[in-house]
Parts: sequence; C-alpha cells; structure tokens
Amino acid sequence: MDVKPESPSHAKEHNDIQQTDVTAVEDHLNSNSTLKSRKWFDWDVEGSEWDILVISTALKLLLFPSYRSTDFEVHRNWLAITYSLPISKWYYDTTSEWTLDYPPFFAYFEKVLSIPASFIDPKIVDLNNLNYDAWSVVAYQRFTVILTELVLGAALLRFTRGAVDPSTQRIISASLFLHPGFLIVDHIHFQYNGFMFGILLWSILMARNGNKLLSGILFAVLLNFKHIYMYLAPAYFIYLLRAFCLSPSGRLEIGNFLSLANAVIGVFIASLGPFLVMGQIPQLLSRLFPFTRGLNHAYWAPNFWALVTAVDRILLKYASWMGTSIAINESGVASSSRGLVGDTVFAVLPNVKPVHTFAITVSVQLVILTKLWFSPTYKSFVTALTLCGYASFLFGWHVHEKAVLLILVPLSLLAAERHAYFRTFVIASVAGVFSLFPLIFTPGESIVKVVYSALWITMVYIPLARRVYEFPTSLPLVVLDGLEKLYLGGFVVLLAFTTLFPVLSRQSSAAMEFLPLLATSVYCAIGLLWGFIRLVFVYLNEEASYQGQLSTL
Amino acid sequence: MEERSGLSPDGQLPSRMLQLPPRPPSLAMKRSFPRLVSPGNEGVTLSTTRGNGVDYLAELPLRRVVSNSSMKSSKSSKQGNKPHIQLIHAPIPRRHLLNSSASHHWLHTPPLSPTSSRGTSPVSTTSAVQSSPRRPVHKSFSSLLEHEQQFPRRRRSSVGPGGGVVGFNEPSTPTGTSFRHDGGVLVSEKTAQEKNGVDTAMGRKWVRWMHKKGIKEWTVPSAIAFATLVKLCISLGSYSGKSTPPMYGDYEAQRHWMELTLHLPFRQWYTYDLQYWGLDYPPLTAYVSWICGIVASWINPSWVALDASRGIETEASKVFMRMTVLAWDLVVYIPALLFFAHSWQGTRSNRTQIMALLILLLQPALLLIDFGHFQYNSVMLGFTLLAINFFTTGKDLWGAVCFVLSLGFKQMALYYAPAIGSYLLAKCIYLGPRDGGKLFLRLAMVTIATFTLLFIPFLPPFAPLSAILDPITRIFPFARGLFEDKVANFWCASNVVIKWKAWASSGVLIKVSTILTALGFLPAVFGLLRAGIKFMSSNPTEPRPAHPPFLPLLPYAMLTSSMSFFLFSFQVHEKTILLPLMPMTLLLSGASSESSMFAWGALVNNVAVFSMWPLLKRDGLGIQYIAALLLWNRLIGYNPLKIPRQSFIHLLSFAVYIAIAMLHILEVLISPPARYPDLFPVLNVLVSTPVFVLTWLWSIKCGVEVSWALGGPGPGSAATSKATAAEQIQRRMSDSNGSTVMPGAGAEGVVVGQGYRQLGMRAMSLGYAQSRRRPQFTQRGSSVGLGEVERETSDS
Repeated sequence: MDVKPESPSHAKEHNDIQQTDVTAVEDHLNSNSTLKSRKWFDWDVEGSEWDILVISTALKLLLFPSYRSTDFEVHRNWLAITYSLPISKWYYDTTSEWTLDYPPFFAYFEKVLSIPASFIDPKIVDLNNLNYDAWSVVAYQRFTVILTELVLGAALLRFTRGAVDPSTQRIISASLFLHPGFLIVDHIHFQYNGFMFGILLWSILMARNGNKLLSGILFAVLLNFKHIYMYLAPAYFIYLLRAFCLSPSGRLEIGNFLSLANAVIGVFIASLGPFLVMGQIPQLLSRLFPFTRGLNHAYWAPNFWALVTAVDRILLKYASWMGTSIAINESGVASSSRGLVGDTVFAVLPNVKPVHTFAITVSVQLVILTKLWFSPTYKSFVTALTLCGYASFLFGWHVHEKAVLLILVPLSLLAAERHAYFRTFVIASVAGVFSLFPLIFTPGESIVKVVYSALWITMVYIPLARRVYEFPTSLPLVVLDGLEKLYLGGFVVLLAFTTLFPVLSRQSSAAMEFLPLLATSVYCAIGLLWGFIRLVFVYLNEEASYQGQLSTL
Repeated sequence: MEERSGLSPDGQLPSRMLQLPPRPPSLAMKRSFPRLVSPGNEGVTLSTTRGNGVDYLAELPLRRVVSNSSMKSSKSSKQGNKPHIQLIHAPIPRRHLLNSSASHHWLHTPPLSPTSSRGTSPVSTTSAVQSSPRRPVHKSFSSLLEHEQQFPRRRRSSVGPGGGVVGFNEPSTPTGTSFRHDGGVLVSEKTAQEKNGVDTAMGRKWVRWMHKKGIKEWTVPSAIAFATLVKLCISLGSYSGKSTPPMYGDYEAQRHWMELTLHLPFRQWYTYDLQYWGLDYPPLTAYVSWICGIVASWINPSWVALDASRGIETEASKVFMRMTVLAWDLVVYIPALLFFAHSWQGTRSNRTQIMALLILLLQPALLLIDFGHFQYNSVMLGFTLLAINFFTTGKDLWGAVCFVLSLGFKQMALYYAPAIGSYLLAKCIYLGPRDGGKLFLRLAMVTIATFTLLFIPFLPPFAPLSAILDPITRIFPFARGLFEDKVANFWCASNVVIKWKAWASSGVLIKVSTILTALGFLPAVFGLLRAGIKFMSSNPTEPRPAHPPFLPLLPYAMLTSSMSFFLFSFQVHEKTILLPLMPMTLLLSGASSESSMFAWGALVNNVAVFSMWPLLKRDGLGIQYIAALLLWNRLIGYNPLKIPRQSFIHLLSFAVYIAIAMLHILEVLISPPARYPDLFPVLNVLVSTPVFVLTWLWSIKCGVEVSWALGGPGPGSAATSKATAAEQIQRRMSDSNGSTVMPGAGAEGVVVGQGYRQLGMRAMSLGYAQSRRRPQFTQRGSSVGLGEVERETSDS
C-alpha cells in the first residue's frame, strides 16, 4: 500500500548501491569482529537466555530431594558396573537386577561419569552397594543430569541463531529447554533424556544448516547412546539417501554416499568394536532387545493399543452383561481382572502379535517416507521425523509412555509453522505431558508437576497462538475447532477425576484401583491419535500449496 | 529545524547527503508525529557510511520518520518554543523480514522486531513479493521510562537487501548513550555493552516480555503461580527437626499444636505438657492450628491423634503440613502483597508494580524459613503488611485491627509496635485536637476490642481471671536467657569479647537490653511524632487526604524499630531477621536498580539469608539456600560479584560478599578445630552483625532525610512548613527524574546525587505525591520530571 514505484532517476543510484552493498556488509562485519575481539571469550548467550538457564537450574536444584524412581538405582548400578568391572563383563553382570541394557556409548558415558563419582564417594561405584541413596549419590547423579542437559541448551541456543523468525524460535527453544516432559522424566523420575535429545536436536540443527553429513553422524552416535531412537531412523535414512546421497535429478552422489557410509560405519565400530572383537554381540543384542514383553507396558502408554485394549474391556463387560454368544477368550478375562501388569491378552478381539504391530507401523511409515522421498526439504524432514516417531509410538510393540518425548520434541520445532501445526502441537503436548503424569505419583511432587505444566503451557500457548492464529474457514472446521477445545478442556476434568478418585473411593475395592490410570491412558490416547491423523493430513495435503517459514530454508 | 533534516548548521547539504524530491506529505505524516514534521521536511535522507565515505542509498521511498522527540515534548516548554528535535529519516528494508533473514543470520544483526508489541505477522505467500512496510513503533511512556532510562538501548539496524546498514533510532536517546548524529549516520558505540546485557533483572524482562506478547493480564497470576511453584519445590526438601527424635523441631511443634488445640479445651492449651513443645505463641496461632487440626482430622485422624501422633512423618502428613503453610500464605500474605503493590506502589507503572510484587513474592529468606524450615511467619508479616496498606487508604481502624491480629499471631510483631503506634499517635496529633481525639478514642477501643476477642476464651466469664496468666507467661519467656544459639545481634556478637552472662545477672541484662532497644527505636518514634506535630492542622474544616503527609516515614520507622529489637532485645532467634527484612524489602521493591536503596535492600536480604545459614544447614536445606538466592538475585538483576563503584554501600557489599564467599569455601575445606566447634557460626555472626548495625543506622539516616524532605529542617508554622514540603518534594522529584527518567536530555541531563534521587523516588512512590500534592504540582506544571510521573501513573 505504501510502495512507491521507483522513479527512473533513482534507478542509477540504486545500482550504485548494489555495488556498495558489499562494502557496507564488510564494514559491518569488521565492526562486528572488532567488537568480538574486545572480549577474550564470547559465550554468545544473551541475558534472557541466561535467565532461562538460571530459572530452570534453580528449579532443578530444588528438585534434588524429590521422589526418584528405580531408574535412579539403575543408573547408579551402571556407574558401579562400568567403574568396577572390565569392559568384557559389562553386558554379563547380573549382580543387580538392573542390568546394563543401553548401547555401548551410554556405557562409556557412565564410565566417564563414574570417575568423578569415585572421588566424591567411593560407595557410589561399589557394585554390591545396592539401593545406595545417601545424599552424595543423589546430589551427584542429579547434578550430572543438569550438567549434561546443557547439551540440549546449547543445541536450542544454536537453533535461535539464524532462525527464520528468531523471536518465535526463541519461544520454541525456551519451551523445549523448560519442557515439563524433561522435568518429569529427567529431574524427578530420573533419566538422561535431556542430554540425548540434545544430540538429536544438534543433528536436526545440522540438517537445517545444510551439514547433512554431520547430521547423519550425530544421529548414528545417538543411536549408540539409546536404541529407542530407532523409531526415528527411517526418516533419517530416507532423507539422507534422497537429499545427500542422490542429486536432485536422482543420480548417485558417490562421494557423499561413501563419506556418509564410512562415517556411520566408523561410529558403529567405535561403539560396538570392542564387543565385536570379544564376540559379545549376541549377548549385547539380547540385552538391548528383550522380546519377552507384552503388547502394553504396565501402565498403558497412550497409543492405539491402549484404545484397542480398552475397547476389548468394554466389549467384555458388554458381553457378560448381555450374556451374548461372543466367543470369549478365558485367559483374556483373567488378563483383564489382573489389572494392567504383564502380557495383554484380549478377551473378545483377536490377539495381536509383534509382527502385526510391526506391519502396521511400517506401512504407515511407508506412506510418510514416500512423501519425504519426493520432497526432501528440511521442513518435510522434520515433519516426517516427527511422524515416524509418532507412528512407532502409536502402533509399536510394548511402548513406554516416556517415548512420547520422541514425538513432542521434534513436533515443537514445527509448532509455529502455522495454525494447523500449532494446534496439533498443543493437543499432542497436552495429552503427551498429561500421559507422563502417572510416572510421578507421590503427593508433593504431583502438585509440582501439575503447577509446572500448567505454567509451561500458558507461557507457550498464548504467545504462539497469537503468532499463528487462523480462523476456521468452514463449518466442519468450526465444529472441529470446538471439539478440539472441548477435548483440551476435558483435561481439567480428567485431572480432577484422577486426583479426587483415590481420595473419594477409599473404601471401594482394589478392582477400581486402576481406573484413573486407564482413564488417563485412554483419554490421552484419543488426543495423540487425533494429533497423528491431523499431522499426517497436513503433511500429505497442504505442504504443496502452503509455504511456512521453515519452507524458506 | 536544521537538526531535523540532518543539514549542517550552515544550511549546506553535506557532500554525502542527497536531497531528493519531496514526496506527498500524507503517507509519512500518518506514520510519524504529525506536529513534528513539517511538509518541507519530507525529503529523503540518504544514509552514508562514516568511515570510507561511500554513499549508498538506503531504500526508496522512505517510509519511516523516527524522532526522539517524544520524550522532549514535555521539555519543550522549558526551552521556550523552539523545540529541540532530532528527526531521523530512516529507510526500511524493502522486502519482508523473512526474505532477508539469511543476511540477518550471518551478519548477526538483531531481529527486526525487538520492540514490537506483536511478533511479525504470519507469512503469507504474498509477502514474499510485496513489500510490507513496518510501522514505527511508538512505545508507551511507561515502557520508555522503564526500559530506556538506565540502559543504552539497542539500535536496531538491519541490512536491507538493496540498501545499506540502516539504523533506527528509537524514539528516545538516553542520556549518556553514544548515538551520534554524524552526517546522517547513526553510530552506536556501545554495542558491546548492549550485548553484555546491562539489564539483568530477569523479573523486569519477563514482565516486559509478557506485556509485549499481549498477555499482560496473565502476568500477575503467572507470577503468583510461579512463586507457588518455587514454594512447592522448596517444600519437597527437608525441614526443621526431620527424623530427629525425641524432640524433632519446629515442624513437630506446629503439628503438635494442631493436635493439642484439636483435642483439648481452651484452658489446657497453654498448660498441657509444656516440656513437649508447649504452645508459646499468642491465641491466633492457636486458632489457626485448630482450624488446620480440624481439616487434618477430617482427612486422616491419625495425623493429629493426641499424643499418639508425636513425631509422625508419613508422606501424606508431610504434604498436608506443607499445604497448610501454602494455604495460609495464599490467604493472608499474597493478598497483602497485591494490596501493597496497588496502594504503596500505586503511583508507579503497572510493570513496576508487578516487579515489586515479584521481588516480594520470591524473597528468599521468607521462602526458606516458611517453606523449608517450617513456620508460619508469612501470616504475621501479612497481617502487618495489611495494616500498613490500610493506613495508606486512610482506614486506620482496619489497620489497627490487622496489626492486633498480627500481634495475636506472633508476639514478634511487637518489633513493629513502636513504629506503628507512634504513626497512629502522630496521625491523631496531625488531625488536631477534635478529630485526632476522636480517632484516638476509636483506635483505643478497636484495639482493646480486638485483643479481648482474641483472648476471650481465657477471660471471664469463660475462665477465671487468673487463666489469662497462662498464655502471657508462655508468650513472654523471660526465663530463657539473653540469646539462644548463635544469632547475628549485638549481644551474641559482642559476647565474643565480653561474656555478658558472666558479667551480669539475667535481671540486669533484661533491663539493659530493654533500655538499649528503646534507645534504638527512639529516633523512629521521635521522627514520626515530630512530623505529626509539624503538620498539625489548625483548621479542622480543611479537607484532608486519606493519609497524612508523613506516611512515607513509616517503612523507615518500621525498619529502625524492628532492627533495633533484633539487635538489642532479649531472646532473639536468627529467624527473627525476617521482621526487619520485610520493611527493607518493601523499600527495595520499588527502588531503581541504580539507587543505593536497591543496593542496601539486596545486601541486607542476602546477608540475612546468609546469617541463617547455620540453621538452614542443620535443617538440610543447603541446596535450597543456593537455589533461592540464585533465583532471587537474578530476578531482581543484582550481581553480588560485580566490581563495585566508588560508593560506600557498594564497597561494603563487595567486602561482605568476599567474606561470605571465603567463609563458605573455608567451611567446605576444613572442619572446625575441636576447641571451637562453633567457629563457623561465630564467624557468620561476626560478618552479619555489622551489616545489620549499619542497616539500622542507615534506616535512621534515611528517616531523617525523608522527614527533611517532607517538612524542611526547622520547626515552623503549619502553613509555611507545608509550603516548604511541597517545594522540597517537587524539587527532589524533578531532580530525581531528571537524572534517571529523562532520556534524551543529552548534555542537559541533570545528574544529581543518589541521595536526592532516592528521596524523591521514595516520597513519590510512597503515594505521597499522588494524592496530596498532585493538584499543586499540576497547577505549576512546568517540571519535566513531573510530566513524566504523570504519564507514568496514567499508564498504570
């Protein structure tokens, strides 16, 4: 509206400027470099970023004395194993029931951590000192989580540098660094997810910055830290193959291909080499992939199978009430009354075997990967990565609820793309974080997790919502919008229910003991499944016509 | 005019400038300050680089006219009718932000919209082709005041794809920053400093961020929620006397009182098994415990079973106990803080009010004692705070009731009694014999009535008259010695040299300590009463404001009085430092981060937490100690490790922090020798006590200064003294704002001493100017500072 056509007389001057532009830019660079050189070392961290670090560190420090799960003892035991045993015995030791079942890089990582630990308190690395929980070990292990999470912080910081829209990216980065998922799983429950998602984000960042080789290497490293990231591997494979190893016209870039292949093989040799030499690979694999577990974890991860199991339970109730002649699997009836522990056997529906879940997962992923193959851009890659993790989470065999972070972290990067992504992000984040709540069941920590998550979603939701809001344009979309809001509002009711139910039904039997867990699982599963459908739809349909911010990369 | 168009004074176009044909005024006019842009000035100014003299045209056409005149407009009257305006014609990049991002990236230029109240608009497909001019951002006055005044603001520069480096001067240029108007090019020299982030107050930045993102209305709820979160997290930790039978600690005492009050009749409350944590707080604590006990027994009777529940430490009962502290905090203290922000800080901008709220909400000492160590101090402090809030609104009777409730919750509130009592007395004097006498009678009646209500179960006809002695002897335990443990007060510190207990008997010591305490708070009492007499009105029909002019003295008087009790009185605990801390933090909460008030407040808060370190260490709250201090200091933007400026308080702070750091390091490295097991607590006392003594002296000094600011040094008739007061206040206010508030003043910026500025700020912030003197000021209406103040307040 305010654009004035350039008058011809200005054209020449304009050309001059084009020429002098370079000089100006150089000037600017020079001034920048002189500014830089004044300080002997530049952290390149701004005040507000220090603030985020201070807030989160202060809160995490305060969580030192909070509840910790058996994972804490698991990791302490690994410190002891890697410190006191030779490498050849690492994957054979059974002193504790918490045997080492992460890939070798993580074992090396624990080895590194165990050295300072032995100075701080030698009892930490004593193999037979089971369930040691003195303040020294608590403080030390909690502290290592905070320290290693700085990898995540550094990666997120680099994301804001050179982002398309730095102010929005800053919100997203901050939201990831302060993610309630990390707070719950890492700083209360106890794990090292922040560190490993830091590596994942470095890898994604390298993909954004065009350094695909390093991206691939970092992902290979990550796989050797924790093998659950295999959920994401198909997207990496296709992306690197299409965008790095093949030219746009489809010709093989042999140099790229060889360098990537060699680098990845090198990483795996660094990780598995010692065990390969010692001939321990089968033992290692049997530790990493124990195929003796059931369809659902003890607490159903909020995925497709949780819904199927719930439907089966309802059908069972219905059948026994109606007295119909549906064939009922008696062991399934027993399974349902046993609550949620152990293998899941359906009473009414046909049983599910690992191969079924595998087939469904792969076929869903194939659709996504086909799309990625034909549009191997950064944004498409991140979406496909999210969807791969999403599909594995929803349809995989024996999925842990903690794996929901595999969805939430890459999805956050897309949150501000446009309203469709944002809404998916909100639904998935709220449902995903809520589904993590049952991990923390002690009363004091429960309040903390709820207040923290509520604050987090407020701080993330409102600014981003204002940033990307779009009106629903048609009646079905209006209805859908309303339903989604209703669903999100339902979490308040669900929270009230799960909190009050144990108090109010103190007298009633243990049969209903699992009802809050079941309700949580099913309600979150609905949201996560819907989020998946949404995201797949957006990914497959709208990408061509719509150009978001990340499309410019 | 010359300056506006960037011409050199002789009217010649500089060789590097290019005058382009004027464009129709309409477009630019809409976007700039209409009255400041004359049509003849619509030309296009070309930016040039300074160094090599190469011209390059920025962008055509120009769309932005930015001037720093907004701040000057109020000043123009001072300088006659020739406005002193710097008008900078700045081009903007032609393409949309998103398209030029690549160059932003590798030039490390700041993002284009740091001041916009919204993010960049969502990208549409059209924006890639069409240029979308960005409007100049006109900030509100309050935001300018708060953001620009102390910090050299960021010059936004960007590289347009077809243009050069373009600098946008924001509408204000703070005093002392280095924007030079140099041949049409703005040069920022302090970019390095900007990058270092002079503004380190996390709270302020967060408040600004919330406002910028348009979620202003969520700021206060979020602040309270965040404070609650921090409290909950601290609550996860250890507490006083955890797992230490047979006596446990303060936690068990409070829990025991719930059990006691729930199961026993009133008469036995102060007599039952006194050896095991007998009740030694006034009745309101007992009633509060009673309510908590009822709720507890409703949830789970075993938590408060008489005698059987002693030392109970189940997970659920601990959470319940923590929740009771949080609940009372939310019921009494938080509303009091909100009320404080709206009454005492009522003349300040919305953001300053929220900042004050944040500073008070996360005050580390109170958090650590109430939610870590386990006590209910926030209830007592909350009632006192409510009392002084009511005083600002003129509801003295309600104030008196609240203060009696505070006394009735914990007798420690007596530390404030000299200040509050003399304030009320001074107000009675101020109102004159008729109204004042009426008020005095009413106050007396209300106070007595409230006390009677509180103690009614121990009075006839409910109990024999002798029953009242039980609570009284329990509440004032003179039999317990001069001091307990190691506390950073005069007695304990001087005990290193003079062994008081050997020197004199307990009775003598009580008398000596009482006399010293009285001498300690006498300046505060005297100051208030003198102000009451000075402002005494001879004309009873004259309309009066809600609060008397000497109200600003009250926080100082409370600080003096409570600090003198802490230092000199009998039987002081280290936790009692919370009482002097409250007025200190109230004063700190509105202070500018440059002022010495701020430095004092932060120092005293930090040292107070440090002085409780032996206690916190015993309670197992070491990590909470670190986290709370870290969070709060970052929140208020205070850096203890900063190299000091040459002023007393900064040097003192520096020395104290060095000593504290040394002590902590020593404590980690070596264990105390067997001869002196208390070596570190004693050293702690020796570091902390001088700071508290100096704070006490400083509060007296400030009290004197404020009363001078109010009424001038000499006694005089009511009329003259009031006029003097008005002038003094006005002068101080304009001075103070001249140096801190008035950006853009350039060389004319008035720089005044810290003391004056503080005085002005204090008097102003404490609501004095707003309600009483404002009309006079606006009539005179020439002061720049005042113009600012009004704008600031109008924004809030």
